[in-house]
Amino acid sequence: MQRQAANNTTSPQQEMLRQRLPVVIVVLLIISTILILRLFTFQWLPPEVARDFQLRRDANYQRTIRVTSERGIIYDRNGEPLAVNTFQYGIGASPNLISNPRDVATQLAALLNRSELEIYHQLTSEASWVSIARPVSAEVGQEVARLQQTVRGITREPIPRRFYPQGTLAAHILGFVAGDPQDYRGYNGVEGYYQQQLAGRVRNQDVSTIPFDLPQDIPESDRGSDLVLTLDRDIQFLIETELQLAITQTGATGGTIIVMDPRNGDILAMASYPSFDPNTYFEVTDETVFRNPAISEVYEPGSVMKVVTVASALELGVITPDWTYNDQGFIDIGGIRIENAERRAYGVVDTAQVLVNSLNVGAATIAQEMGWEDFYRMLARFGFGQPTRVDLQGEEAGILKTPYDDDWSESDLGTNSFGQGISVTPLQMITAFAAIANDGLMMQPRVVYQIVDGSDVYTTQPTALTRVVSKRTADIVTEMMVRTVNESLENAQLPGYAVAGKTGTAEISSPLGYERDASIASFIGFLPADAPQVVVLVKLDRPTGYWGSVVAAPVFRRIAERLVILMEIPPDDVRLAIQSQGGVVEEVNR
Amino acid sequence: MSQNWIQHTLRRRRWRPQNQAAALATLGVIIALIIGVLYLSQVSSNATTGRQLADLIAERNELQSMNEQLRAEIAELRSVPRLLARARELGFVPAGQDQIEYLVIEGYNPHRDETVAPLQDEEPQLPVYDESFGGWLQQQLDNLRAQFEGFSNAGE
Repeated sequence: MQRQAANNTTSPQQEMLRQRLPVVIVVLLIISTILILRLFTFQWLPPEVARDFQLRRDANYQRTIRVTSERGIIYDRNGEPLAVNTFQYGIGASPNLISNPRDVATQLAALLNRSELEIYHQLTSEASWVSIARPVSAEVGQEVARLQQTVRGITREPIPRRFYPQGTLAAHILGFVAGDPQDYRGYNGVEGYYQQQLAGRVRNQDVSTIPFDLPQDIPESDRGSDLVLTLDRDIQFLIETELQLAITQTGATGGTIIVMDPRNGDILAMASYPSFDPNTYFEVTDETVFRNPAISEVYEPGSVMKVVTVASALELGVITPDWTYNDQGFIDIGGIRIENAERRAYGVVDTAQVLVNSLNVGAATIAQEMGWEDFYRMLARFGFGQPTRVDLQGEEAGILKTPYDDDWSESDLGTNSFGQGISVTPLQMITAFAAIANDGLMMQPRVVYQIVDGSDVYTTQPTALTRVVSKRTADIVTEMMVRTVNESLENAQLPGYAVAGKTGTAEISSPLGYERDASIASFIGFLPADAPQVVVLVKLDRPTGYWGSVVAAPVFRRIAERLVILMEIPPDDVRLAIQSQGGVVEEVNR
Repeated sequence: MSQNWIQHTLRRRRWRPQNQAAALATLGVIIALIIGVLYLSQVSSNATTGRQLADLIAERNELQSMNEQLRAEIAELRSVPRLLARARELGFVPAGQDQIEYLVIEGYNPHRDETVAPLQDEEPQLPVYDESFGGWLQQQLDNLRAQFEGFSNAGE
C-alpha cells in the first residue's frame, strides 16, 4: 500500500521535466524545420552561387590540362616527307621518390652529359620535383625511358618539335614553325598560309582525379591535316644546286629559279638565294632572308616583257607577224629618248626581229601604236599589278603605273614595253609566260595539290584564271620565241628539243636613278615548244656577266638538260614518233 | 481438441509479426550485402580496367612518338644529298640524254594509276561471353585475381 502511494506522488523534478519537455521538443522541431527548409533552398541557388559551388566541387575532383594534337605532315608530289614531327624530351625527377640518388645521378650524368655532382644535388633537394635537362634529343629520351623501367621517380615529358628532314631544301616554300610547344604557329610559305589546316586542335581537357573514372583519350579528329604539295623534291634539289652554282660562278648577290607546269599551274620547284635552314630558323640574324623573293620581291623584268608587248599587240590586231617598221636605233616618247641595247639601228625589221634582236625601239614603237589604254589593259590581263593569289604567305602585287596614277608619264608607255619602269615578281612573270605556253590560257599557280584530313582527301582542281590571248596568237608568239633561241641564244639551246625563250637584262633602279654596271639578268623558257610541259624562270641579281644571254641562259640549259630526264620528256623526234604510234607522253596527271 | 488447436494458433500468432520483421530485416541485410559486394566488385573492376586503359594509352602514345621519330629518321636518310652520295659510292653516275633510249610499247601507259591488291579482312576475335552463374563467378574471380596482380605489380 505504501509503495503504491509513493508511485502515485511525483517529485518536483519530474513535474518540472514534464512541463519543460514539450517546450524543448517544440524548439528542436522548429530548429530542425528551419534546417530542413534551408537544405531545400540549396536546390534553388542563384546561378553565380551555384557556379561557385560547382567550381569548388570540380577543383576537388578534376584538373584542367592543355592538350595539343599533332601538326599535319607536308609531302612533296611523290609522297616524300618535307616536314614531319619529332619529339624532344624534358627530363625531371621527384627527389622524394628516389631511393638511391648517388647511383641515379651517376647514370643520368652519363646519359645527359652533365655534371654528376650537380645532378646529385638536385636529386637530394627538398623540392617535390626538379627539372634536370630540357630539351634533350629523342635518342637520349629513349635511353631515359629504359632507365625509368628500373628507377622510380624520374619523369620524361615529350616536347613536340617540327623537323624538316631535307634541311634547307624548299625552305622558302615550306616556311617554318615557331613558338611555344603548346602553341606552335607556322610562319611564311605553306606553314604560314595553311596554318589553320596544318595545326592540330588545342583544347583544354578536364581530367578526373578519381581513380575509378576511366581515362579520356585525345580524339583522332584533333590532328592537323596533311598537305601534299605540287613540288617535286628531285626537281627542287636540281634547281637549288644549279642556283648555288650560278651564284658562285657569276658572283651574283641573289637569285631565283622557278619551274612550273603551264598546263595546270603546278609549281614544281621554286628556289631563291639567300636561303635558310628551317630547322635552325632561330639562328638567323637577318630576318629578311625568311621572305620568299619569288613572290615577295619585285624587280624590273627587262626584255622578257617584250614577249608580253608583242603578244598583246598581235592579240588586239594592232600588228601582224608581217608588220614592219624602220628601226633608226632610237625613238623619242614623252620627252625621253629610247635606244636599243646595242646602241645601233637595224633598219626595216619585222615583228619577230623585235624579239630575236631584243629591240627596245621596236617594243616601244608597238606600244605607241597600241596606245596607252589597250597596252595597260593587256598588261592587267596578263596579271601585272595584282597578286597571283598563289597559296603561299607574303605575296606582293608588284607595281604597275597607269595613266590614272599621278606619277605616270607618257615616257612610261615606252619604257614599260621593254620591261623598265614596271615592277613584277618572278612568279607573276613566269605565270604570264606559262599562259602563252598553255595556248593563251592563264592557270592559277598553286603549291598545294591535296589536303588530307583523316580519311577525307580534298584535291585542288587546276583553275583557269583567264584567257590572255587566243591560241593562234600564243602559237605565233611561241614560234617567234623559238626563233629567238635558235637565232640568237645558243646558250639556251637544248639538242633534240625545240625551246622557246627570251632573255631579260634590266638595269637596277635606285633613288638616285639606274645603277651603272649592275643588272638583273633573267631568262624564261619553255619546252617542248609545240607542246610545252615545263616553264623555267632563271633570275640572277647583279651577276658579273651582266647580260641575261650570258649568265641566265646557260643556267636554263643546264636545268633543262636534267629536267627532260627527270620528267621523262623524250626528244621531239622520239615524242612525235611515239605519238604517231598512239603512245601517250604528255598526259597531265593533275 | 478443436479448442486447443485455436489456442495454439492464437499463441503462435502473437509471435508471428516479430518473426516476419526479423526475417525481413535479415533478408534486407543479405540483399544489401549482395548489392554492396556487387558494387564494390564493379567499381574495382572499373578501376582495374581504367589503369589498364591508361597504361595502353601511354604505351600507344610512346609507340606513336617512336613511329614519328623513325619516320623522320627515314626521311632524313632518304634525303637527296644522302641518296646522291650513296649512289656515287656505289659507282652510279647521272644518266645523260644520249644514254637514254625510249621504247614504244603498244598499249602501255606509263602514267596509269597504281593498283594495289585489297587486304583480306581478318576474322575479328570476339571475346567469349558466358551468361551462366558459373561464368559470372569465374569472371569475378578473374577480375579479383587481375586486381591483386595489378596491386602486386604496382608495389614492385
